[in-house]
Amino acid sequence: MSESSGSAPPLGGPSGHPGALQENLSVDSSCFSPAVNFLQELPSYRSIARRRTTLLSRDKQSGILLKPADSCGSHLEGEITENLNSQSIRKYALNISEKRRLRAIQETQMKYLSEWDQWKRYSSKSWKRFVEKAHEMTRHLELWREDIRSIEGKFGTGIQSYFSFLRFLVLLNLVIFMIIFMLVLLPVLLTRYKITNSTFVYIPLKDADKQCTVYPVSSSGLIYFYSYIIDLLSGTGFLEETSLFYGHYTINGIKFQNFTYDLPLAYLISTIAYLALSLLWIVKRSVEGFKVNLIRSEEHFQSYCNKIFAGWDFCISNRSMADLKHSSLRYELRADLEEERIRQKIAQRTSEETIRIYSLRLFLNCIVLAVLAVCFYAIYLATTFSQEHMKKEIDKMVFGENLLVLYLPSIVITLANFITPIVFAKIIHYEDYSPGFEIRLTILRCVFMRLATICVLVFTLGSKITSCDDTACELCGYNQKLYPCWETQVGQEMYKLMIFDFIIILAVTLFVDFPRKLLVTYCSSWKLIQCWGQQEFAIPDNVLGIVYGQTICWIGAFFSPLLPAIATVKFIIIFYVKENSLAASGNGSANDEVSCGPSLPWTLVPASLAAAPRPGTSLIMFYFIALAGAHKRVVMQLREQLSLESRDKRYLIQKLTEAQQDLRDQ
Amino acid sequence: MGQCLRYQMHWEDLEEYQALTFLTRNEILCIHDTFLKLCPAGKYYKEATLTMDQVSSLPALRVNPFRDRICRVFSHNNVFSFEDVLGMASVFSEQACPSLKIEYAFRIYDFNENGFIDEEDLQRIVLRLLNSDDVSEDLLMDLIQHVLSESDLDNDNMLSFSEFEHAMAKSPDFMNSFRIHFWGC
Repeated sequence: MSESSGSAPPLGGPSGHPGALQENLSVDSSCFSPAVNFLQELPSYRSIARRRTTLLSRDKQSGILLKPADSCGSHLEGEITENLNSQSIRKYALNISEKRRLRAIQETQMKYLSEWDQWKRYSSKSWKRFVEKAHEMTRHLELWREDIRSIEGKFGTGIQSYFSFLRFLVLLNLVIFMIIFMLVLLPVLLTRYKITNSTFVYIPLKDADKQCTVYPVSSSGLIYFYSYIIDLLSGTGFLEETSLFYGHYTINGIKFQNFTYDLPLAYLISTIAYLALSLLWIVKRSVEGFKVNLIRSEEHFQSYCNKIFAGWDFCISNRSMADLKHSSLRYELRADLEEERIRQKIAQRTSEETIRIYSLRLFLNCIVLAVLAVCFYAIYLATTFSQEHMKKEIDKMVFGENLLVLYLPSIVITLANFITPIVFAKIIHYEDYSPGFEIRLTILRCVFMRLATICVLVFTLGSKITSCDDTACELCGYNQKLYPCWETQVGQEMYKLMIFDFIIILAVTLFVDFPRKLLVTYCSSWKLIQCWGQQEFAIPDNVLGIVYGQTICWIGAFFSPLLPAIATVKFIIIFYVKENSLAASGNGSANDEVSCGPSLPWTLVPASLAAAPRPGTSLIMFYFIALAGAHKRVVMQLREQLSLESRDKRYLIQKLTEAQQDLRDQ
Repeated sequence: MGQCLRYQMHWEDLEEYQALTFLTRNEILCIHDTFLKLCPAGKYYKEATLTMDQVSSLPALRVNPFRDRICRVFSHNNVFSFEDVLGMASVFSEQACPSLKIEYAFRIYDFNENGFIDEEDLQRIVLRLLNSDDVSEDLLMDLIQHVLSESDLDNDNMLSFSEFEHAMAKSPDFMNSFRIHFWGC
């Protein structure tokens, strides 16, 4: 609609509204086109405006809508007070003095209510106030509130979401550890240190079982200093005897005064409890603030409305961050339009081209599978080698060699996780997808890679433990000779993986990112350094890293109960290290090709990891998808109808304007 | 650089502001402090006003591309009273409800204040967001067309409030983006 400066005279109210409303309209509406003026008069427009209680016109110049303080005020207030019961005063789009008046009206209204209603109102208000105070209290206790606020202000919500996810994991692990501590550790400690009057119960075993549960902890006579370090790093030796590992919990029950506390059952229950809690909490967190709209047809993360209206992070207060955000928006919007063009190009492909592309993709996917297979085989070999050579005595090996052997699986896994994303990024280039899809597919492959490596590790250990070539297996179900306490071995592997992952994250942040930043600051004259050194905070990589760490924690927590506590400490340290490295390097993530918004895609990853599909849930999901499909059709029809009605409206307005013109011309 | 008379806020006033806005106690007190530092000497805080420039140059708004619109929407007669500042902070606070934010977002984005977000408004929004001198006409038109095709349900090339509300309710980033931390403490 063209915004011609209409010369139409002030219009009289056509629909017989009270006079006071009319007078506001007639002020200076000539700056809007006649069509818009008509539209503003329509009853539908006004009723929506009234519902918003947009008592807008403070200055008469933009006199569009309704003003409360006139003679008509009481009529309007009558309308508002009808709704007063349903909304709290805060939600009104009014300034404070007007809200004060409304509140006064509300209170006078109260007098006319019955005693019961009055009491109901009063109690609901006090309850709301109590809940608010409680929320305020809990928000005050939030961990790292100030740090995350300042990060949000300086670097935007994308990076802030990484840190708030990290905080969430710290709390989750703490809670998991609390559960395990309450259910398993506490009774044992109470009895061991004679705090309560309870005793251990050892259930007598049959002969065969006895053999299975004998567990000689290796301890050499002379203890070298570095054996402590090795033990600390690999979870062997003295650590094996502590509560760190499953093998420690040989007790079958604890006899208190009135009952016997069944320890194995408690152990199992605690496992189920923390897994269920993790799942629920993650799903809740993913769904919060994220309206799952199955009816939508487009990708809403990439939607233009979202980018334009919610694109600017209003909490940015830093000049450089603002510039970064501007350039990021420029890049994103251009990239989106580019992607649109590519998608159109793809849609116009000839069938010959399509066949060529698909066969190329098939070939490249085979290469991807081959790469994965190679990695998995390497991990298998490394684990086998490490397991066989771990049994050698400490004094027969050099310090470094021993550590290398122990950490071989972890090293290989980390290397694989490092190399494969690069390989995948190269490969996907030739597959000719649209940019958004490229990124998603790469990330999917990386996530799969990370999970699969852990699975391969566990599987290899499992096969080693249960493989034996003599009768030893039949006795206990597994290779009792080599693995007298297999749960501890698995726990050790998980422990090593976690420690190594932690060391790598620290090393990369301190020894790669930090020197890079120094190089950029002090050798900025060299163009090469400038190009290479300007690193950004890569949100997807970092999030993937901590999700990986958390997965290790979950899997390992059954075999090593103290692992969540270690994970908590690890994440706390990572938080401070990352925060300081970010502050030092001062660079937000500039060209973050995946949506710069909150971490919604990323929090969904652990949710999808944790939620294993079951037939029941699949059926329910299918039902909802079918329902959504039906709704979608209805929505399409209604949209059609709406646009037809609007066309009619515009036609009528045009006719009316023309008729007015004719009338004036005569 | 004068300062307002350092009156402590009365407890009843604090309670009232808490009831009428979405701000917490601390937030209200911090804003009160900031306001006192900025307003002219010798005036009671309830009567003092700030100019639009003063509010525009608050650290929270200084780099915001829409700061002039924000100031226009929340001020009365081109000045800010203390309660106007509180009202503004309340809308942008974390605890504010979505409907309030959407309401004020619509007002902010409606540059020509005709009650609709039309192509002219969209053009200005995009230019402010990109903040660059060389934006091609094609890019602008393309973007505007995409936005309208997504949210203009009745095909009149403008967004009415309902359409805007509908679009923002589906937008996952809106609530997170439309937040400002006003206090400096």
